[in-house]
Amino acid sequence: MEQTIAKVLRCEDIAQDIFLLELSAPGIARSAAPGQFVHVAVPGAGANILRRPISLMGFDAGTGTLSMAIQVKGEGTKRLRALHPGDTVDVLGPIGRGFELRGARRAFFIGGGVGVAPVRGALDAFSGACACEAFFGYRGKAFAYGLDGLSCPVHVATDDGTLGESGIITAPLLRALDAGAPDMMFACGPAPMLRAVQRIALERNIPCQLSLEERMGCGLGACLVCNCKVRAADGFDYRRVCVDGPVFDAGEVLFDD
Amino acid sequence: MIDLSLDLCGVHLKNPVIAASGTFGFGREYDQLYDISLLGGISVKGLTLKKRLGNPPHRVAETPSGMLNSVGLQNPGVDAFIEEDLPWLLQKDVAVIANMAGSTEEDYCRMAEKLSASGVHMLEMNISCPNVKEGGVAFGVRPESVYAITKAVRACAKKPLMVKLSPNVADIRENALAAQEGGADCISLINTLTGIAVDPRTRRMVLYNNVGGLSGPAVRPVALRMVWQAAQAVRIPVVGMGGIVTGEDAASFMLVGAQAVMVGTANFMDAYACPRIVRELEAYCAQQQVARAQELVGTVRVNG
Ligand SMILES: Cc1cc2nc3c(=O)[nH]c(=O)nc-3n(C[C@H](O)[C@H](O)[C@H](O)COP(=O)(O)OP(=O)(O)OC[C@H]3O[C@@H](n4cnc5c(N)ncnc54)[C@H](O)[C@@H]3O)c2cc1C
Ligand SMILES: Cc1cc2nc3c(=O)[nH]c(=O)nc-3n(C[C@H](O)[C@H](O)[C@H](O)COP(=O)(O)O)c2cc1C
Ligand code: FES
Repeated sequence: MEQTIAKVLRCEDIAQDIFLLELSAPGIARSAAPGQFVHVAVPGAGANILRRPISLMGFDAGTGTLSMAIQVKGEGTKRLRALHPGDTVDVLGPIGRGFELRGARRAFFIGGGVGVAPVRGALDAFSGACACEAFFGYRGKAFAYGLDGLSCPVHVATDDGTLGESGIITAPLLRALDAGAPDMMFACGPAPMLRAVQRIALERNIPCQLSLEERMGCGLGACLVCNCKVRAADGFDYRRVCVDGPVFDAGEVLFDD
Repeated sequence: MIDLSLDLCGVHLKNPVIAASGTFGFGREYDQLYDISLLGGISVKGLTLKKRLGNPPHRVAETPSGMLNSVGLQNPGVDAFIEEDLPWLLQKDVAVIANMAGSTEEDYCRMAEKLSASGVHMLEMNISCPNVKEGGVAFGVRPESVYAITKAVRACAKKPLMVKLSPNVADIRENALAAQEGGADCISLINTLTGIAVDPRTRRMVLYNNVGGLSGPAVRPVALRMVWQAAQAVRIPVVGMGGIVTGEDAASFMLVGAQAVMVGTANFMDAYACPRIVRELEAYCAQQQVARAQELVGTVRVNG
């Protein structure tokens, strides 16, 4: 864990509203694990005082680089998109409990939208150690990224049917599960997708890890603003998404309606 | 060599920079980044008599140069703090200030007794948490109730008692005086200003609790004015906070009458904010040719 001024190596669009940010941050790259995130200060400081949590899509201890796929949403991500190679950005990380292989021999990697980024990162990290199968969902072809260089079976679904099959990613997921369940599933994406994956995992008793999102302050576990609900003996308890997560076992997460 | 140290109600602080309650946990997280013994003190996350889960998400919203929070006093309870967190904190060379919140006089007194029997150096009575009914804010608004609760808790507390004032009041001077008359050893201010955030796209309140507490640079001018007014009204020491990000911000609070300062939201912007502010304050003193930082206190030049 360190807070450092990282140099921007690349900042370029890779899909509609999604850009690749590649940084040189050797200290963070050396200690990072799949599914962890970095807490990025908004460049130009100004009125946006809170850092933005962004998952690592890739990290290379050898070259000291981090890569992220970022969706432009509001002022913070807009300012990050405006960075150029050679600029600097203040990052804190790596943060959180990431995805863990736990000896799985065959794993499914399920991502939706910008949530494909950490799942693709985990796939690249674990592909040497287990048989992988990817399930990536997007709004449409223009929004797709993270598909290059995959050598494992890949299932793609888009809302509008412009790439892969039309509909939600759980459709091909269910078919593949019927053909043979893996011993681990990793998922990140919009809440409805995570809920569906959670339900499937619990029904079929398949170990599954979900990466959650919540608004953050410190990113260190100190301020308690990033809470999510987990099961507890007496109903529920709160956990900190930043350091107790962002990855949780599907069995412990409680989604509200 | 600049002397940054001070004696705050009998407690030695090596410098006037204290981490503000609720932004620094019980110190462990930031200690992964730097030795928290570099700080003058730590005000721990607000404690209640029993464990509290706090509010559902969202608990935070960014606002221009500031943020709203509505954590709702999530904490393990005073007993768990004393048993599980305090021993570690006491190994550090830093003044430990126990921040406490309650919904009844009885709550505050029982906590003050338990904490007085522990190793903490000072108690900070939060009668200003805007985020829960039980946060003591009922005691913090009217000067008469500030006086009454301070008097009652002073009688049960065997450690120096700091009363944390709410800025959401009619006249901060009266509440500062009421705390002093009730027997407070010192006062701290400001807690957060109440506010809300609306998401126009979803037409919803951003915070689950609707209302949250505003902090960060956005509140600094208001906080400075209130610290200035309070410091003029009382004889007891004043600890100032609200939007401090740099050593010069800290110096400004000291110039208007604060003996020490607390740093909250700035920790989220820069995880090293507290030790950086200590260094910057030292550099400021050197540049101003002030040998002891306490010489700054209350020396602001006010216009006719
Ligand atoms: C652990 C984690 C990993 C993430 N990884 C990625 C990623 O790899 N790529 C990516 O594009 N996005 C990711 N996000 C979401 C990303 O943090 C938000 O989209 C971003 O903070 C929005 O900032 P903004 O200023 O553009 O938007 P605004 O809506 O203007 O932001 C306003 C405030 O709300 C917060 N906020 C808004 N949406 C979210 C959200 N979904 N999650 C957390 N905070 C939010 C912002 O941080 C900011 O404080 C991740 C979130 C978390 C919690
Ligand atoms: C996330 C968060 C949690 C807080 N929790 C507490 C608390 O438990 N008790 C308390 O007295 N003040 C609490 N505060 C208020 C701060 O201690 C401080 O009074 C306020 O934030 C103003 O200082 P700042 O602008 O430097 O943050 C909290 C503030 C924040 C941002
Ligand atoms: S963001 Fe502060 S505890 Fe998670």
